[in-house]
Amino acid sequence: MAVKIKSKKDFNAGLMFIVFGLIFALGALNYPMGSALRMGPAYFPSVLGWMLVILGVIIASWGLMHEGDAPKKTGWRGLSWILGSVVVFGFLVGPLNGGLVAACVAIVMLSAYGGWEFTWKEAIISSIVLTVSSVGLFYYGLGLPFRIFPWSY
Amino acid sequence: MKKLFLACALFVGLAAASLALAQVQGTPADYQDPGLFKNLILGFTVALGWQNLMYCFIGVFLGTMIGVLPGIGPVATIAMLLPITFNLPPIPALIMLAGIYYGASYGGSTTAILVNLPGESSSVVTCIDGYQMGRQGRAGPALAIAAIGSFFAGTVGTILIALFGPPLAELAFEFGAAEYFSMMVLGLVAACVLASGSLIKAIAMIILGLLLGLVGTDVNSGMARYSFGISELTDGIGFISVALGMFGFAEIIGNLEQKQSNADESQISKVHSLMPTRDDIMRSIGPILRGTAIGTVFGILPGSHTVIAAFSSYTLEKKISKTPERFGKGAIEGVAGPESANNAAAQTCFIPLLTLGIPTGAVMALMVGAMTIQGIAPGPQVMTQKPDLFWGMIASMWIGNGMLVILNLPLIGLWVKFLTIPYRLLYPGICLFCCIGAYSLNNSPMEVYLAAGFGLFGYYAVKWGCEPAPLLLGFVLGPLMEENLRRALLISRGDVSIFVTRPISAGMLLVSAFLLFLVLLPFIRKKREEVLKEEVV
Repeated sequence: MAVKIKSKKDFNAGLMFIVFGLIFALGALNYPMGSALRMGPAYFPSVLGWMLVILGVIIASWGLMHEGDAPKKTGWRGLSWILGSVVVFGFLVGPLNGGLVAACVAIVMLSAYGGWEFTWKEAIISSIVLTVSSVGLFYYGLGLPFRIFPWSY
Repeated sequence: MKKLFLACALFVGLAAASLALAQVQGTPADYQDPGLFKNLILGFTVALGWQNLMYCFIGVFLGTMIGVLPGIGPVATIAMLLPITFNLPPIPALIMLAGIYYGASYGGSTTAILVNLPGESSSVVTCIDGYQMGRQGRAGPALAIAAIGSFFAGTVGTILIALFGPPLAELAFEFGAAEYFSMMVLGLVAACVLASGSLIKAIAMIILGLLLGLVGTDVNSGMARYSFGISELTDGIGFISVALGMFGFAEIIGNLEQKQSNADESQISKVHSLMPTRDDIMRSIGPILRGTAIGTVFGILPGSHTVIAAFSSYTLEKKISKTPERFGKGAIEGVAGPESANNAAAQTCFIPLLTLGIPTGAVMALMVGAMTIQGIAPGPQVMTQKPDLFWGMIASMWIGNGMLVILNLPLIGLWVKFLTIPYRLLYPGICLFCCIGAYSLNNSPMEVYLAAGFGLFGYYAVKWGCEPAPLLLGFVLGPLMEENLRRALLISRGDVSIFVTRPISAGMLLVSAFLLFLVLLPFIRKKREEVLKEEVV
């Protein structure tokens, strides 16, 4: 018999907590447990991990039994473009060595594209303004150790 | 409603009783308090230094700005601006960050009154009557009363910190590991009970936060936990990444989805004259006093202080008013009370942080992080070892509150201009600054990826009805709790009963259990849900 999920919101939340709880509780198996007198690195996380699993089960089963409102639909456009732009920024300042200028332009353009009223003109202008001001503020003003262009050092 | 107040009053009473009990046990001899007067002189000498004055100004200015701008809150802003404070000495850095927080709780009222948009969640209530006053052409008096109320509440809050800080810190010196552990349990439980939304989800979020806080090298065994072979993770997850992900990126994604735009010119109420009438002032005195009292209590308690304080104040004013039908139609009491309450709470929530070293909310959790980066361990020793920092911060809060009044009423025009900036031009910049902030924590792209990950997590957590604030609180307290639990059990030779045989610790655990029990009672649970969900109709 198929069980009908009555409140997807609670069920999903419960599931999420179960997964996280299991990651921590099972992950703790790799570390020495110790005793209450000399707590090992696994002691606290495994206690909390199993607590989280229990709470997750309660929340999820509540979601099975009690009627509740469905969660709002995922806004894929905003989600993917914003998070994507952040990851691209990370790659550009990190492993790709693209420099701060490229990273700034990329994140502003990409995240702007994720909005619902994107225009090229505005995106280009704001990327120039924001890049100039953040290079000025963070690199020249505050002296944070950024590489500005891929070739600079 | 009344039951919740009763519960809170009871909680305060019990806490006070256990504190009084501790007081009897004596105070440490090696620290001599030079007296309030000398302390305040020291504080003002520090706070009036030109550098500190300047950073205080920058803090309240930025705070008001983000308070005015919807879609970015104090948590994301403080996290974003932390890298700027790396190069500063500790005092100006903390003065500025504090200024951002109370500035934001003040600035939110401006948008609430002028365009019916709460710039901060604490100003949701101000929208109701403030905006109606604006529609009736009385935006000026509403803004002025909000400013006066906030300043008064801020002053009282500051005085309270100065008065109660030293005795509380002395008390905290008596605390052993067991007491600290129990106090954190109490703090976290109270934070859940007073959080908005589902109780059990808040507890789960706190536990998840505690667990995430444990990622990284275990101080005792030197073992890297949950690092999954990623070398950057052995230092732990940066709290900036958590805060930026859950309060910055997740929020932006949510706003984009709702297509929440900012106001256009036509929606903004015009400000004609700032002068409140005699009648306005007479009507506001009571609400300001009561709001301040409510705000101070909720500020000290853990939870989403400013929001709950403002809501409670509004409900109280409406309840005791002789003309409750005026509420919702532009009653000035509905602006004066909540605005005083949220500002008082924004001040007094520094008390537990500065004296006990325990953060009580998301912003205070960030302040702990900021202090740690500056090499200061939050706790009672801050006051004895760094009196200039402690008293300087207190004095600067009062100065900052004064600046808010003097600056903001004339600057209303500027804030209105900010309001008309469309969101589509704003959020790419917020994304960029968040990324730079996350990167500069360790100069590693790992923190940026983590922030993106927490953005994803935070987005779905909110969608599924889980508040992000308890997680951040748990995250900061995780390692502290483990350390104190470990120490307490070491002292007691592994005997768990240490937590109930020591009176203060037992008292705090008792209160925590009692609070949980109270909320689980069906009848109180219903009331709690009513209060916290109440859209104040």
